[in-house]
Amino acid sequence: MVEFLQFTLSGISFGMIYAAVALSLVLIWRGTRLLNYAQGGMAMFTTYVAIEVIYRTGNYWTGFVSALAAGVVLGVVCQLTVIRPTMNKPPLNAVIVTIGLLILIEGLAGIFFGGQYRSFPTAFSQAGLKIGRTPLGVSRYDVFVAAAVLVTTLALAVAFRYTSAGLRMRAAAFNATIARLSGIRVARVLTVGWALAGLLGALAGVLVSPSTFLYPNSMDTIFVFGFTAAVIGGLDSPAGAVVGGLLLGVALSYAGGYLHSGSNLVPLVALGILVVVLMVRPDGLFSATQVRRV
Amino acid sequence: MSSAAAEHGTGPETGRALAVEDLVAGYGGVIALDGVSISAGTAAITAVLGANGAGKTTLLRAVSGMIRPRRGRILLGGADLAGRSPEQMVRAGVAHVPEGQGVIPELTVEENLRVGMMSWPRSSRTERAAALEEAYARFRPLADRRRKLAATLSGGERQMLVIARALLARPRVLLLDEPSLGLAPRVMAQVMDLVVRLSREHSLTIVLVEQNARSALAIADHGVVLNLGRVVASADAATLAADVALRHHYLGF
Repeated sequence: MVEFLQFTLSGISFGMIYAAVALSLVLIWRGTRLLNYAQGGMAMFTTYVAIEVIYRTGNYWTGFVSALAAGVVLGVVCQLTVIRPTMNKPPLNAVIVTIGLLILIEGLAGIFFGGQYRSFPTAFSQAGLKIGRTPLGVSRYDVFVAAAVLVTTLALAVAFRYTSAGLRMRAAAFNATIARLSGIRVARVLTVGWALAGLLGALAGVLVSPSTFLYPNSMDTIFVFGFTAAVIGGLDSPAGAVVGGLLLGVALSYAGGYLHSGSNLVPLVALGILVVVLMVRPDGLFSATQVRRV
Repeated sequence: MSSAAAEHGTGPETGRALAVEDLVAGYGGVIALDGVSISAGTAAITAVLGANGAGKTTLLRAVSGMIRPRRGRILLGGADLAGRSPEQMVRAGVAHVPEGQGVIPELTVEENLRVGMMSWPRSSRTERAAALEEAYARFRPLADRRRKLAATLSGGERQMLVIARALLARPRVLLLDEPSLGLAPRVMAQVMDLVVRLSREHSLTIVLVEQNARSALAIADHGVVLNLGRVVASADAATLAADVALRHHYLGF
């Protein structure tokens, strides 16, 4: 029973990270019907930026904020240079371009930062928390992770719903033609979408890296998990991304905990879930209509 | 006012708010407008008529910037605005209500209206709130449903919503593409009434594309008939309506 609680709580904590990646994918998907295969790579790159800043300044929070800032900048730069030209062309162009971007970013990371595994520091204790004498399976750090993602998600949700900028983004995502005819500069809105997605990816990268080592390919698996979470929730739904992330996190935690040789099977289980969802309910749990080609 | 405006035939002195000269536009390999010249009188209703495929929708799309013309000029107050983007055209004073679904169903009525104000330059919250209240006063059914999703509106209410939204952009010229499409006859009559009131009470220049030529000519001041991308007739509405041969041949009644 205690084990179950531990697996659940730790699953929720990881699930939040998958939710952050899923959210960044959903943000870009809603605005552009584009799946950003480079999202994991972008998150990895910004985490390297954080680690370099932390190394030079000795301050975790400076590094944390630098990663988020780098995420915004990277998102904008990628959208303006590489993505915008694919906008009104066949969708396959965008797929190829984002995959190419991923390879480029991973290669550049290797060149600038080296390929060796690096450990990433945390600002909070990763020692397990206990209630009385029962270990909970989560640490102060895990609580920080969950809180960080939750706060960011809520802030975004509020911004989307209640601000003029949020309305602009929603209008552009729902009907770009009407948006343009109403004077909304849709091209600019898309860039902001990528900036936010970059921010969310950077957040996910920084939050997950203490638990894994940091190396140029370290975010690949996280990206797959985030993508699976987004598909579970429905690629159109931000709420779905969060729910999908939590469900996946918990499911993978159980798989890793209860299955024989579980920890090796976790990526396999994730892919298995992805296949099942795509076969049984490809629109995801929350999605209203669309089924995707990609 | 510049003499260029008088020369080109648009501007307040000549009474032409909008003019299109030798416009050529199309899609890919297909030319839908083949050298069309039309002018719309200020504060008047100009009906653009013709069969399907005649180029009516293409004309509106070219004027509002949705498609880029291949050749020709689009004159608004004397300035040639051909090739500008939709975001620029709406800021220049041209509001386009496209055919079919113009409402964003996933947004509420109020949010749809707020989208209409996105072209405003810096404005205060009170200014925008006042404009919204004005819109609600003019369109009571929208006021009753302001917090409801636009998806829940009936056809007539949706048409009202898209027109209200277009008006919030404070245009000088309003392009309406088949506003009566899919509406019951009684509702269609209400929409036509609305169009007339807009032109009379607000001095709005209206370009009305309609399949239903009879009702369009009933409210229009001037009419232009297109066929296969060319203008085949251009006269005041009464003259066109009286021309039986023309009606039979191009307008279906």
